[in-house]
Amino acid sequence: MLTDLENALDSFIDVYHKYSLLQGNYHSIYMDDMKKLLEKECPQFIKKKSAETWFKELDINSDGAINFEEFLVMVVKVGVEAHKEIHKE
Amino acid sequence: MACEMSLMESSIETVINVFHQYSTRLGNPDTLNQKEFKQLVKKELQNFLKKEERDDKTINHILEDLDTNQDKELSFEEFIIMMARLTQASHVQMHKGSSSPGHKHGPGLGEDGHGHSHGGHGHSHGGHGHSHGGHGHSH
Repeated sequence: MLTDLENALDSFIDVYHKYSLLQGNYHSIYMDDMKKLLEKECPQFIKKKSAETWFKELDINSDGAINFEEFLVMVVKVGVEAHKEIHKE
Repeated sequence: MACEMSLMESSIETVINVFHQYSTRLGNPDTLNQKEFKQLVKKELQNFLKKEERDDKTINHILEDLDTNQDKELSFEEFIIMMARLTQASHVQMHKGSSSPGHKHGPGLGEDGHGHSHGGHGHSHGGHGHSHGGHGHSH
């Protein structure tokens, strides 16, 4: 039995594939997939930063797609933001 | 939060909650010291990290590696890097041995296919007390 923390980490993989499997390469999130991901999974984070800006920032190797490693950068960024938010409340 | 949380949000919240559950125990309430980090790894990552990766020496190495500002404590920013690395490792594990077309996942980290139940949850010390080789803390 995995712990809650371990399940949460595996959930990030599920979230990624929910959008990466929509079209094209199985491990690619394209611009329109990114929009869907941000709108559904973290709507409060496109208020401050547009999907286009997020995409540019995350596409480190500039190949026009977000691979899993690049997606994890987003998880870190969103996590750090969310942690800061909690301490503001 | 008024609206329902997404899987992404609830998973992030779990990571933050687990961090705080341990970070508030001793000293600075928003950082993990060595003791708190050890407790967290042994309890919360008991399947993701193999037994030999959860001994005191290895845990100290992981902490030193994550402690980028070298203050001997882990901030949330430093901690979440480890979470990303473990997620990456689990994803790699899921793709191991699959060469079939299409996208398929096998079991991830800590799941060897057959649902094995751990006898004692929590920290079960294997009977042998950890022997420190004489040196207190290495600098």
